Amino acid sequence: MAVTKKNILNRLNFVLLFIVVFFIAIAAQLVNIQFVEGDRYRGLSEQLTIRTDTIHANKGSVFSADGSLLATSMSQYEIRMDLVTVNGDVFEKNVKGLSKELSKMFGNSASKWETKLRRGKSKKSRYLFIARNVGYTDYVKIKKFPIFNLGVYKGGFIAEQTTVRAHPLDKVAERTIGYDDYRGAPGIEGAYRSYLTGVNGVRLKQKIAKGQWKPINDNNEKEPVNGKDIVTTIDVNIQDIAHHSLLRQLEFYKAEHGCVVVMETKTGEVKAISNLGRSKAGKYYEKRNYAVYESHEPGSAFKVMAMVVALESGKIDTSTVVDTGTGRYRMHGRYISDSKRGGYGEISAARALEVSSNIAFARLIDENFGEKPEEFINPLLKMNLNNKLGLPIKGEGAPLIPSPGHEIWSKNALPSIAYGYNLKLTPLQTLTFYNAIANNGEMVKPSFVKEIRSYDKHVQKFDKVVINPKICSEKTIGKVQEILKNVVFRGTGRSLYEENFSMAGKTGTARTEYGNYQEWVKNKKYISSFTGYFPAENPKYSCIVVIHKPDKTVGYYGADVSGPVFKDIAQKIYTSNHEINLAENKVPEFESVDKNFNKYNKLSDIELKSIPNLKGMAAMDAISILENLGLKVQVEGNGKVVEQSLSEGEKLVKGSTIFIKLV
Amino acid sequence: MRSRKTNIFHGIDWVLVLFYFVLVFIGWINIYSATNTEGNLDLMNFSTEYGKQLIWIGLSIPLILLILLFETKFYEKYASIIYLISLISLAGLFVFGKNINGATSWYNLGIFSLQPSEFAKAAVALAVAKLVSDKQFNLKKINTQLQSFIILLLPAFLITLQPDPGSALVYSAFIFVLYREGLPFYYITIGFIAASLFVITLYFGYLYTLISLLLVSILILFYFYFYRKKALKKGWIKIIGLFITAALFIFSVDVVFNKVFEQRHRDRFNILLGKTTDIKNIGYNTNQSVTTIASGGFSGRGFLQGERTQGNFVPEHQTDYIFTIIGEEWGFLGSVFVIILFMLFFLRIIRTAEKQKSKFSRVYGYSIAAILFTHFTINIGMAIGLLPTIGIPLPFFSYGGSALWGFTVLLFIFIRLDANKSYEW
Repeated sequence: MAVTKKNILNRLNFVLLFIVVFFIAIAAQLVNIQFVEGDRYRGLSEQLTIRTDTIHANKGSVFSADGSLLATSMSQYEIRMDLVTVNGDVFEKNVKGLSKELSKMFGNSASKWETKLRRGKSKKSRYLFIARNVGYTDYVKIKKFPIFNLGVYKGGFIAEQTTVRAHPLDKVAERTIGYDDYRGAPGIEGAYRSYLTGVNGVRLKQKIAKGQWKPINDNNEKEPVNGKDIVTTIDVNIQDIAHHSLLRQLEFYKAEHGCVVVMETKTGEVKAISNLGRSKAGKYYEKRNYAVYESHEPGSAFKVMAMVVALESGKIDTSTVVDTGTGRYRMHGRYISDSKRGGYGEISAARALEVSSNIAFARLIDENFGEKPEEFINPLLKMNLNNKLGLPIKGEGAPLIPSPGHEIWSKNALPSIAYGYNLKLTPLQTLTFYNAIANNGEMVKPSFVKEIRSYDKHVQKFDKVVINPKICSEKTIGKVQEILKNVVFRGTGRSLYEENFSMAGKTGTARTEYGNYQEWVKNKKYISSFTGYFPAENPKYSCIVVIHKPDKTVGYYGADVSGPVFKDIAQKIYTSNHEINLAENKVPEFESVDKNFNKYNKLSDIELKSIPNLKGMAAMDAISILENLGLKVQVEGNGKVVEQSLSEGEKLVKGSTIFIKLV
Repeated sequence: MRSRKTNIFHGIDWVLVLFYFVLVFIGWINIYSATNTEGNLDLMNFSTEYGKQLIWIGLSIPLILLILLFETKFYEKYASIIYLISLISLAGLFVFGKNINGATSWYNLGIFSLQPSEFAKAAVALAVAKLVSDKQFNLKKINTQLQSFIILLLPAFLITLQPDPGSALVYSAFIFVLYREGLPFYYITIGFIAASLFVITLYFGYLYTLISLLLVSILILFYFYFYRKKALKKGWIKIIGLFITAALFIFSVDVVFNKVFEQRHRDRFNILLGKTTDIKNIGYNTNQSVTTIASGGFSGRGFLQGERTQGNFVPEHQTDYIFTIIGEEWGFLGSVFVIILFMLFFLRIIRTAEKQKSKFSRVYGYSIAAILFTHFTINIGMAIGLLPTIGIPLPFFSYGGSALWGFTVLLFIFIRLDANKSYEW
């Protein structure tokens, strides 16, 4: 069969038809994607080319009252290496040099590093781990190592920056300063999060080439607002004394945990707060904020509250005599005992508080208020003892003072409360009451934050908050103050007595975990405390020291265990503070400290236009000045400044980084 | 009439030459747009892709002159030898070839690389033309059919092994050439049915396809039983045979798709059939490509103004996805202009081929029309999301020296053959 002309024409037309069908399909699809669905695709295209970048706001810092940095944000780096981008010859030539430098900086032998690098190279690792938590100074050094100095694309140097919260004073007051991260938000950092955090900014960016993004507008769509700084009430010197004194005592008495709080009498400002608990390894660290959260039976410390109520009622006076017998007294079918063998016999109410007689307080209160217990309980409530203080810090423990009818109320409840059992208070709540005594009846709320600042501007100042302008009559206050002075002079706290300066306070030795009495007798556990204020006349500070479960073979009386911490703090504040310094001779080392402070004060008072000379300055002062100038500070070492990366007189550029070396 | 010996341009179809240069020029403009990142023009520079391409374009002129220099008889006489050399060069890749992006398709010649599969198209076109123009050639004979298929399948097979299945697929274009020259229509029917069954099986699964096929077969049997009883007696074996063949084919589609294909191949089909939508990963290329074309709108964003082009959103947009640049920077108008340009170009080749008195020239002309058209359709079909991702260049447009030279050789041999028509009469 020959191929006819008509046949050919048909075949040709078929082929042409085929071509035309394809052209129509292509044209139809073009119309479809550019017109019919065009808007959807174009929207998709915008979405893929424009992104919003978050500009992270700088977090505010936490300062002490004297301007030392307690918490601030610092840059840290994680160093990794992309070995694929490193040229083979370059690698061979420099691998030994790099290994040597890495070994110098991070330890391990150079050969170990070389093996690691070579293995990474042969495995074509693009993300070989080198080190983490590297500070800025080390990061700058590492950048100059062989191979790494070729940069990102040829040297495979990868540094991932993260911001970490640094505490220049290390673990001091860690629980109270707190933190705000995945672990939670305790302490000041958590409480003032809204001030510290700031508001992130937003910048719109458009993709202009592979991996390159340019901002769309000159200005950020939303400027970031940096976080505010928090100036706490913490005094670094007092904090330091408190921390170390408590630590020493905990270690000596092998206690489970303890806390100490120092408060300024007039204002309620917490000058120091230290909470130390024992780790499994036997070391003490800021474990929990015991002062704030842990409500417990205060024991003898509560006799002061009982005394105030008793005196106010007029039923008892300081001279009222009570018979304490031979130190063992049966009441409502239960024995109450005093710590002195043979007992105190007949003593006055005032003396009963001085020697802390349980029998005397149980009898005085039970005999005078037993018929109408609410006449004793209600005045306690009126003194705000059953209310939380309302602290900004999370987790304040609730106090508990039972009224008649409460589930833990019994015939024995009233006499027990009289000497500090059958009720609960936190150390800070107890201290607040004692501070009110010291403050002539005005009860002020403990405060942790003085003010909120943004650079040099005051954003918000916190004035003192009065909880109760007068907890009782001045007469009562005067009497109680006199007794508390005598506690130290001749009572249970007499071991603390010092001729040079006066203190007033009350010891407390409370049994704890006595629910199973048989068990308790076998292994007696106590809470030893000392609460008071100093100087006894015109008090400046009040202070509470609570130590839980000291090793009773070493000692357990409040005066022995907690008293020394109290005395230590009082003594050191006396000797270093002009206003209450009774000793004329100043210790030379404090002179130099004062000199340093002068330099700091001078520098912080004038408005600086250029980088100041920081040499010889204490680290915290230098950092404080530099931060106030708007500089980012990188620190190495401890002590005083010996080197500064930006030299004196250099022009001040806000936001630039200065590195200071301390020795 | 001046003798060819004194003027190699004698009888040249200048319209085709003009088409060639216009297409190459537009192509280069778009390659420049795709690969110019610094913003300063630096031509004739081997460090930029547009510079390299310009050198290839420049060097194509001596190549064209060389092609025109040979006598028509040379191509006809040595077609078989050229075909053999081409086969050897393809086979040689397995020994001397250089692997780029997972395919051993290249000879490394120092400063540049050559891809023999781009030149093989011209060789195969010559071989087919030679075979078909033989006086004994009759496509109704099964022997001749086999001969033709072997000539096509040998290079296609070697190229598939590289592996470069996209380039191998182009040889299916010759079916149309053979059809034009008398190949029975049922080959096209079978091909069409096979392709339809392939797609239907992928879309609905082999079970449903088999059941539907069975139902259709039973319906056909019923039809014959009631209306064409006589035909049924002779034909029932044929119908059942067809059914079994089709069933086996469906099974094999399932096996090939799930066992032989790699995941990326399966993904490409699944995306096209709308069975998968994942614009971030496997569907990235197609999605980026279509989005880029769409962002051009009616009149485009203008030369060097396509933000997705300049941002290198579409991978390989200087080679396989060059149409996206036309779509974004020149818009619907530019795209349609390019498509019409290609269509006119193809029609011109087909018309010129149809005018050839020599059967060799005519078949060769059809062959190159078919090859260019297949490239064009697959490339643009892929870019606009009509066809699965098959990476083959857009003739004269895509970046790459071998491709450009391959198409140049393909076209100018035809121009040379056509120039001779005046005295072949």
